[in-house]
Parts: sequence; C-alpha cells; structure tokens
Amino acid sequence: MTKVLNLLDPLLIISAALMGLTLYLIFIWVPTELNQGAVQRILYFHVPVAWGSMLGIFVVSGSSFMYLWKKNDKWDRLAVASAEVGVVFGGLMLLTGMIWARPVWAVWWTGEAKLTTALILFFIYVAYLMFRAYFPPGAQRQRLAAIIGLIGAIDTPIIYFAANLWSQAHPPIITGPAGDPESTLGSDLGMVLLASTLTFTFIFIYLVQTRYKIRKSEDDLIELKRASTASVMTGAN
Amino acid sequence: MTVTRILTRPGVLRIVFAMIVALSFSIVQTDVSSAQDASVLSGIVVGVEVDENGNLTRFAVSDSAGGVTTFELSASTQYGLENQAGDRWVSTQSDESSEAARHLRDHRERFAPITVSSENGIALSVVEREEGKLEANLGYLFAVFAITWALFFVYVLYMGSKQRVLQHEIAKLKGKLG
Repeated sequence: MTKVLNLLDPLLIISAALMGLTLYLIFIWVPTELNQGAVQRILYFHVPVAWGSMLGIFVVSGSSFMYLWKKNDKWDRLAVASAEVGVVFGGLMLLTGMIWARPVWAVWWTGEAKLTTALILFFIYVAYLMFRAYFPPGAQRQRLAAIIGLIGAIDTPIIYFAANLWSQAHPPIITGPAGDPESTLGSDLGMVLLASTLTFTFIFIYLVQTRYKIRKSEDDLIELKRASTASVMTGAN
Repeated sequence: MTVTRILTRPGVLRIVFAMIVALSFSIVQTDVSSAQDASVLSGIVVGVEVDENGNLTRFAVSDSAGGVTTFELSASTQYGLENQAGDRWVSTQSDESSEAARHLRDHRERFAPITVSSENGIALSVVEREEGKLEANLGYLFAVFAITWALFFVYVLYMGSKQRVLQHEIAKLKGKLG
C-alpha cells in the first residue's frame, strides 16, 4: 500500500523549496509598496490562492467533462480531489481578501461584484461536495456531480472579468489577457507575485495528488466491502 | 494510474507549462511605473497651500533632520492617508483635491508623519508613513500567514488521519477475505 504523506515526495520537496524562496522574496527582497504599506504583502498570498481556487474549478470541470466522455473513474476521482482542494484555496481566498480589505477599505466585506462572484465560486465547491456526500454512491452520483462541476466553471470567467466589467472597489485585473496595461505593478512586485503563484500552483498539485490517492483508497474499500458482503451471502447459501 | 502520472503526461504538462508562461509573460508585459524609482521623503506636514476654491496646490514636509521640502502636485498625484480612527482614504489630486488639503491639514495638526514619493519636486504619491504603525499592519499580515499555514497544516493532517483509517479498514477486510 502506498504511503500518502511521503516527506520525500518530489512535489512536496519542490513546493517547500519554492515556498522558502517565496517567503524570502516577500519579506526581505521586495520593497514595501508605498500606497498600502506592509498590508500590501498580503496580496502575494491572496492572488496566488485565488488563482489556485480558479485552477481548481478548471480541473473539476475538465475532469468532469472527461468522465462524462470516457466514463473512467479516475476522472471522477480527480474531480473530487480538485474540488476539495479548491474549497481550501477558495476559503483562503475569501479570508485573506477580507483581512486585506479591513485596513485598506476600512470594511471586512462589501457586496461588490468580484467579491460576490468569488463567494459564489466557494459555494459552488461546497455544493458540489455536499451533493457527493449526500447522494447515494454509484454511476448516477458521478454523472450528476460531473454536470454540477461543468456548470460551476461558468463562474470563473465572470470572477476574472468582474473588476473590469463592474468597476468598483476591487483593484483591476493586473495579469492575464485582460490585464491593465496602465497598472502600477512594479517589476519587482510582479516578479514576487509570479514566484508566489508558481509556488502555490505546486502546492495545489501536491494536495490534489495526495487527495486523489485517498480517494483511490476509498474506492478500493468500497470494492472490498462489496466483495466481503458477496462472500458472506455465498457462504450463507 | 496516479495523479502524478496524469499530471506528468506530456499533454497535461504542456498545458500547465503554457499557463505558467502566459501568466509570467502577462506580468512582465505589464507597464512598469513603480514608485520605488522615485525619491522618497518621510516627515511631518508643516505647510498646506490651497487656491481660492480650496484645492490643494502645494504642501511642505519637514524631515527628521529639520529640512523643509516643498512639493508641487500633478493631476495624477495619489493619496493614501488615514484619519485618527485609522480609516484609510485613497484618491488622486484630480479627483479630490480639496479633500487632500483637508487630510494634510489634519495630519499637520496631529503631527502624523507621511511618506512622499516625488520626481523633480512633483509629488507622485502621498501616503501614511507605515513605520509609524508597523504593529497594526503587521497584525493583519501575521493573521493572513498564520491562517494560511494553519489551514494547510490542518488539511494535510486530516488527509493523513483519513488515510490511516482507510488503510486499517482495507487491511482488516483483506484479512477477512483471506
């Protein structure tokens, strides 16, 4: 039986090394941003975890699509593993965003578009996992969960473009195809943001891999229980 | 097949690599106008000059060596100042010039230090001097990092304990089935 929490896992070693480098960059190397001061450093965690939560729903929807197409359980396992890690990243995105907003906006939360759509993403993850937890196991659960996963992905582009579509309090998009060319993000700040994003991407992959192995064990256990029940019934006959 | 195998498939790896490259490219392509290239001065506001409409036109700052520097303003001068209660006000010279004058007067009366970044005597940004309130800001920073690590740690522990229970049950059932 494979060990799930292997300290010599290459992904874990890479993630740890990158995290060490990222922390050095955040706290020692990068200069303090003038407009927000020390709290701006929160964004080096907030943006990457937000990226992770969106990556999560991409993987959920992609593997849900593959499951509906190929009907192979491995895609269903990948979807559920990614959804669970996505909940962790989504929760962190909301919490870190709220903590950043308090000193900068003077409120913990406001009902503006980006925040609301991000909260909806978190609820989509929770709904997906609740559905899987309460619906009886089997192919029908996997099919319906895959459909929920596909529908959930619709929220992702809305979150990404929300700050530009409804110009409100949230800072505009600084990265990606809709990034603001007039952005005041400095080269040093951008470099640290990139390093942090890369680090959290590796952490995301490591956690999904670990959760996938557990999901595989859960499926093995269900199979063994079925075999055990069958052998008991055969013995009784 | 494990997730590692799926993720290390050339196709998947290429997509992940392309996403990372696209992200890094978009960041590098971002127009850079970092304030850190400008000269920076911290000190106390000693003079605020307004026009007949009450709009801020100039202000002066006294640094720790006692030198007084006067700053001109441009339409794009940015402000990030806090009142006594700690509520932050963020705006620009073109948007709320008279409000900027009011905030700077408030800082002058309270002897609250500010940091000014400037180029050729024109203020680019006028912000609260963060060193004066490190504790408050570091509290938020600490909270974010502590929560992030705690959550990841708890999640990994949860997965570890879940796997131990599963392994135990699987071993038991395998033993039963012979």
